[in-house]
Amino acid sequence: MEKIIEFLNKNFDEFELYEEDSEYKDVTFESNKLKELSSKQSNGIGVRAIKNAEMTFASTSNYKFIEFKKIINELKKFSIKTKVKFPELKESKQVKIYSEDTYNLSNEYMIEVIDKSIKKVTKSLPNVLCDATYSLGKSKARLQNSNNMDLKFLESAASFFISCQIINNNDMLNIWDGFSSVKQIDANKIDEIVNDMIKNLKIAQNLKEPPTSKCPVIFTPGGLFQTLISPMLVSTNGTNLSKKLSPLYSKEGEKILDDKITLIDNPHIDFSPSSSMYDAEGIPTKRKKIFENGIFINGIYDLKSGSEAGTESTGSAQRSIHSLPSPGISNLIMEKGDIKFSDLVKNISEGIIVDELLGAGQGNELSGDFSANISLGYKIENGEIVGRIKDTMISGNCFKALEKIDHLSKDTKNLYGRIELPFLQTENIEITS
Amino acid sequence: MNSDYKNLIENALLKNPKFYKEIRIEENISTRIQYKGKTRENISISSNVGGCTRALVNGGWGFSSFNDITKAPNRMSESIELAKFNNNNYKHSKNLSDTKLSIPPTIKKDPRKIKLSEKIDLLENYKNLILSEKNIQGCDIVYADIDKKIIFADSNGNEIQQEFVHVICRIAANSSDGNEILESGFSIGSLGDFGIVEKLEDEVIQSAKKAVSLIKAPKITGEKTTVILDQILAGVFVHEAFGHLSEADNVYENNRLKEILKLGKKFGNRDLNITDGAKIPDLRGSYAFDDEGTPSSITPLIREGVLVGRLHSKETAEKMSEKPTGNARAISYGFSPIVRMTNTIIENGENSKEELFEDTKDGLYVKNWYGGMTEHEMFTFASAETYKIKNGKITETVRPVKLSGNLFETLKNIDGIANDLEINQGGGCGKGGQSPLPVSNGSPHIRINKTLVSPG
Repeated sequence: MEKIIEFLNKNFDEFELYEEDSEYKDVTFESNKLKELSSKQSNGIGVRAIKNAEMTFASTSNYKFIEFKKIINELKKFSIKTKVKFPELKESKQVKIYSEDTYNLSNEYMIEVIDKSIKKVTKSLPNVLCDATYSLGKSKARLQNSNNMDLKFLESAASFFISCQIINNNDMLNIWDGFSSVKQIDANKIDEIVNDMIKNLKIAQNLKEPPTSKCPVIFTPGGLFQTLISPMLVSTNGTNLSKKLSPLYSKEGEKILDDKITLIDNPHIDFSPSSSMYDAEGIPTKRKKIFENGIFINGIYDLKSGSEAGTESTGSAQRSIHSLPSPGISNLIMEKGDIKFSDLVKNISEGIIVDELLGAGQGNELSGDFSANISLGYKIENGEIVGRIKDTMISGNCFKALEKIDHLSKDTKNLYGRIELPFLQTENIEITS
Repeated sequence: MNSDYKNLIENALLKNPKFYKEIRIEENISTRIQYKGKTRENISISSNVGGCTRALVNGGWGFSSFNDITKAPNRMSESIELAKFNNNNYKHSKNLSDTKLSIPPTIKKDPRKIKLSEKIDLLENYKNLILSEKNIQGCDIVYADIDKKIIFADSNGNEIQQEFVHVICRIAANSSDGNEILESGFSIGSLGDFGIVEKLEDEVIQSAKKAVSLIKAPKITGEKTTVILDQILAGVFVHEAFGHLSEADNVYENNRLKEILKLGKKFGNRDLNITDGAKIPDLRGSYAFDDEGTPSSITPLIREGVLVGRLHSKETAEKMSEKPTGNARAISYGFSPIVRMTNTIIENGENSKEELFEDTKDGLYVKNWYGGMTEHEMFTFASAETYKIKNGKITETVRPVKLSGNLFETLKNIDGIANDLEINQGGGCGKGGQSPLPVSNGSPHIRINKTLVSPG
């Protein structure tokens, strides 16, 4: 590594060296049975170097110095104009993102957690087939730059995923859920996932006709994220904003969404796998509002997009060894409302609940459009959830759909350990079946 | 073979002779060039070495992957220890033994021999062509070539070395009318042919013009209607609508699904024939051996509307008492092989494209792709171009749409298959966290009745 640094020092005005070394282990069950145990080790380095305000980037997991030097020299001839300057280290808030015990959990433990969960599901519903994975990871990263930065990151993660299938004649019902944490996943959390799964599998086995006219739609936190928030995050992404490829370009301070909507990106939540003290370029992370009472506050920027948009990095750079940094959200939180989800349902005579989508995100996302098959959705009749709807599509535009909404629920759900959203009710959605 | 690798492989395979073991070692180098908006964003070269070991003990697998290949023998011991946690009664039979082969890459115009400066000049020109059109906000161009050498060896004495050179490119234009932004583009790919990226000036200009005109086009209202799919989108359709359910790893431990997908069952009309095969030469999904060392094949999946075959790994074939097809693939050394498609094709039918249009009173002509997804019997796929058809004629350009269907109905609703088969190599497939795996899809124009369509 010293040789690379010496070479970069000699040949460039500025440089940055990102190293990563990670280990994972996981246990996989398929169709209720243990299938595979695996362990994965990976490491590599990514180099960004600047000469005369032009950037060169290369990466390798193959530490042959001479070969790597040759690649960098070749790429240097085609370096790209940049406004990026590598930062010096600044103070940041302490955030807990590592727990020594996580990676020490045993294979036996992971097998037992899954086995118990599957037995609980199949005891209640004997015709269910479950696939499930428990995985553990720990990663060491080091970020050095020519501005004297030398940051070391140590992270751990545990995640649990379960997917359950029931087949009746030609109807295949599939429900999945999962959770991630820096620490061992709390047994209560796994119980909650499994209990919800059983409850939903029971209701979902009744097939109901989708509604034929416009009706109230409740998005579950998962359905809300997939349908409306994901396309929104494309528009708040600094890269798209800096290239004027976002409908939110230069709309900071303008009212875009319903008053009830406040969206926050918070990287400072202890033990969340998406938290961090510094981002992948060494900028201190911060809690920031993306929308406040419907007003667009700020986009999500890394150094490059921030400099090109004439603003600053929001400490949102994410990267892997083989890719350039790019801006992304950490933990996303939407402020909740004041009505219970069960009360929302009680007040609807005919409506649907959208929980999971198939094919979302493959369309004109830059404008915030969405269009997808409702792969898991429920019918509400006279204030009760009566069964599942299928072969039904949903479409629209996330900005138009969120311009005016009816309700946000008091209860929220944490998705994948990093996104906390309420249920959302609106009537502003096109449904096709 | 590099002699360092030879020793590591031998040492790894010597561990515990009681168990079936395999090892893969991979070297790859990739070049990537990207433009976004109005500027060049990235030119990078990434080089990698890595490996993985896999052992079968007590009827289940232990798998380890690593970048530090000097530790391969230790990793094999670890795989064996991990596999010991299993408790099944599956045994692997020997398909092949003592096969020692080295298979050179398919090359037409070698991207490794094209200077970086030449690649950049070519793409720079495409970027400029897009940006010179009016009302264009930017471009989105990604070019990549990758040279990948893989050695597979197992405890049955097989040692197979293969090399693949892939070229992929997506070129898209973004238009803006001040409120909305819209993308229009195309994706191409090849095994060993840089030539596919050359002389695209006309297509590039067309994409930019389409992006500009589409932003003025109206959106459809969602409905169930007749659709005619062009070859590219019909290729995505066969991949999503049928291909994924023909992968036996969904089926082999699932008794209900085994009944539903019983060979001999009717899924479509008499003119429907679907085939998958890595043995079809020179396509992005082509290879001689899969990642378990099984020779590739050409597998008829549907003949005259009837299910006749499925795609297998060694294990799924054995457990279902069917023949292995050589479809166990891993996207890299970091993953276990799983059952995947290769080159998936709807065979030519008897109609002409014109005949499909002639008796379409009311419907949509959907072309080019933007994506596709499958979850069991449900699937969606997205067009990149859509036109209204009235009384057999194209009458109006509308915005791209999303189409959705159900395996049990949609294949039966195919009521016309043309005879103009074309293969598209611009896509990649995702499954089990392994994406994008090189595949190709092919089809003639097809017509499907009663398809659920919603505005894209």
